[in-house]
Amino acid sequence: MSTAMNRRQALLGIFGLGGTVAGAIAAPAAGMEHPAHPVAAPDAVAMLYDNTICTGCKACMPACNEANGLPADTSLSPGIWDTPSDLNSKTKNIIKLYEGDSGAPDFAFVKRQCMHCLDPACVAGCPFGSLEKNQWGAVTWNPSRCIGCRYCEVACPFDVPKFQWDKWDPRIVKCEFCYEQRLKENRQPACTEVCPTHAVIFGRRSDLLAEAKQRIASSPGKYFENRVYGEYEAGGTQVLYLSKVSFQKIGLPKLGTTSLGHYATKVTSVIYKWLSGPILVAVLLGAVIKRNWNRHEAESAELEKRTGLPEQL
Amino acid sequence: MSTRNDIGSTLVNHWQRGVPVDSKTVMTPVLLFCAALAAIGLTLAVVRFLSPLGPFSGMNDAYAWGIWKTFNVMTLTALGSGPLAVGMAAWVFNRHKLHVVMRTALVSGFLFYATGLVALGFDVGRAWNLYNILLPWRWNLHSAMFEIAFCMPTYCSIFLAFECLPMVLERFYYTRTDATKAFLRRIAPRLRRIYPFAITGAYILPLMHQSSLGGLMLLAGDKVYSLWQTPMLPLLYLLAAGLCGLGFVTVALCLGCLRYRRPLDISILSELGSLLSWVCFGFVALQCTDLAVRGQIAVAFRLDRMSALLLLQIAMILAPAIALRNKIARETPHTLVDMSILACLGGMFYRFIPTTIAFHPANRATYFPSTPEFLMASGYIALGALAVALAVNYFAVLPGDLEEWNHMFRRVRRSEPRVGGAQ
Repeated sequence: MSTAMNRRQALLGIFGLGGTVAGAIAAPAAGMEHPAHPVAAPDAVAMLYDNTICTGCKACMPACNEANGLPADTSLSPGIWDTPSDLNSKTKNIIKLYEGDSGAPDFAFVKRQCMHCLDPACVAGCPFGSLEKNQWGAVTWNPSRCIGCRYCEVACPFDVPKFQWDKWDPRIVKCEFCYEQRLKENRQPACTEVCPTHAVIFGRRSDLLAEAKQRIASSPGKYFENRVYGEYEAGGTQVLYLSKVSFQKIGLPKLGTTSLGHYATKVTSVIYKWLSGPILVAVLLGAVIKRNWNRHEAESAELEKRTGLPEQL
Repeated sequence: MSTRNDIGSTLVNHWQRGVPVDSKTVMTPVLLFCAALAAIGLTLAVVRFLSPLGPFSGMNDAYAWGIWKTFNVMTLTALGSGPLAVGMAAWVFNRHKLHVVMRTALVSGFLFYATGLVALGFDVGRAWNLYNILLPWRWNLHSAMFEIAFCMPTYCSIFLAFECLPMVLERFYYTRTDATKAFLRRIAPRLRRIYPFAITGAYILPLMHQSSLGGLMLLAGDKVYSLWQTPMLPLLYLLAAGLCGLGFVTVALCLGCLRYRRPLDISILSELGSLLSWVCFGFVALQCTDLAVRGQIAVAFRLDRMSALLLLQIAMILAPAIALRNKIARETPHTLVDMSILACLGGMFYRFIPTTIAFHPANRATYFPSTPEFLMASGYIALGALAVALAVNYFAVLPGDLEEWNHMFRRVRRSEPRVGGAQ
């Protein structure tokens, strides 16, 4: 009995040690747990896209392809032009057109790429931190940590990350704000640099938000709902939109203001904090099981005496 | 009869211990078919590993998860939760009668988990990066996907395997030489000392990852239809695992005993049926309360496609809950089996719906599994079924009467001497 107790204490000790180690690992992460309404870092960069200015020239698309070394997607134009139908594993940035049924003035362009959320669902779900919120808030992908589980695609509310289904060595393809190739060299992303009408501009998020609100204030009624899409959507994004038609018409989903990471982890982050929940349950279950086990052992010893057969586990 | 009842309260059963099957043929036509299907599935899996995912599956960027994840892992491991459900009933809640059916639960559970992990291994696109599981500083502790990727293999390869170890050693004990016997006698007390701690771990881990499987769909947010998108997903997935586990063990016991002409033990089956009914009630109560709290009752009775799906799923779990409260129904094997199958299907349906049927990405894409996807998914299941049948034939898995026990384990090779018989 005494050895059993010692063993039990040792095991509890191991549990405790494991908890401490896990806690030490979790502690830095705990500071940046997922708040319901994340606040942008002071140095967070952003893009502001205004579809009352965009002429749909698509200059940003080849610029993006060139900066990211992406091939042209010629599937709709047998081998001739880059004509992607949507964001895909060859397209990180696309200009799309919304056209209403009624004809005349009811149309609008939209530029789609990663929204670089303040608290991205893809980052919250990525098991080994392949997708991460990098410097200036750029959401980047690290090939050496990605196992190809595609949880980012399931999680992203904007349907942005794409998977190379046709590659033996598939990568996740999404706009990374030109982080490696341009931001780090103090240059703005290729799409904002090349835009001839400044329909999409680059800057600090706080500055661009002020700029967007300035535009709304100077011409009230010009913009849909007189508001900026991305200020609060899904906890806020680092790509901001001004639109003359409804945001849903140009394919931007109607989302709440809470970050999805917060919604998904608000309960588990309490239960799993320093593994306290599992450890507590383990101790309780362990105590009950040990008591029942001892009783069972005594009874099976008696059975073995009667039948000559050892008790089976 | 009377002597049995004197033995001790935890061991009063008609089914008294696992007894190996020793009838004539192992490889029946059904098992040969399973073997063929498993061979096709695994061959395709190897080919898939050497080729891109695209041509192999119906998956796309909108439906990035196909049936390998949503069915083989997220749905079928619920059926493999027998060791959790039956084990907790027996060891924690003192349902002593159920100890004797643990081996059936363990073997089936182990194989559902193992084949699920195989499915997962061939589903991920960059399997060579799985080594990241061993690098703690790369773990994303907030990710349900990480929790599953870490917890499920650990549970299956360490805890579940340890729980299954005694039945393997038992076979060695009765079929090998005296030296082996002496060795096993020496280590048996040590294993028994670790055992209660091991089973504690064996209940904690599945409690964690079976709920995390539901937690996966939380991040998908509005893509999952409002009837199923709820903060209660983890708890509901866990309860669904419990009812599927109990239901599947009941079905497996009845079918196994029918196949190998074993008598049934109605009192044990009735106990399982009763537990199953309570878990089903708990599940339906939680699901309905959650719908009411979230103000989804009106949506649930809209009688459109999604509402019909929900009502059907609730009915599939509520029917066995009500039926099995009746003692006569519980003690009638065919009713018990029918109701258990219905509960299993209901639980599986619940776990599958939010991942695929009620999963609506903005994109207009659709998903239907391709032929290789189906073949691989059924290949994994066939592999599990084949392995269960072999385990039942070569190990003392299926419960039987004490008088049937004769130390006669089936030989693997004809030349192998038949040891045992004498104690």
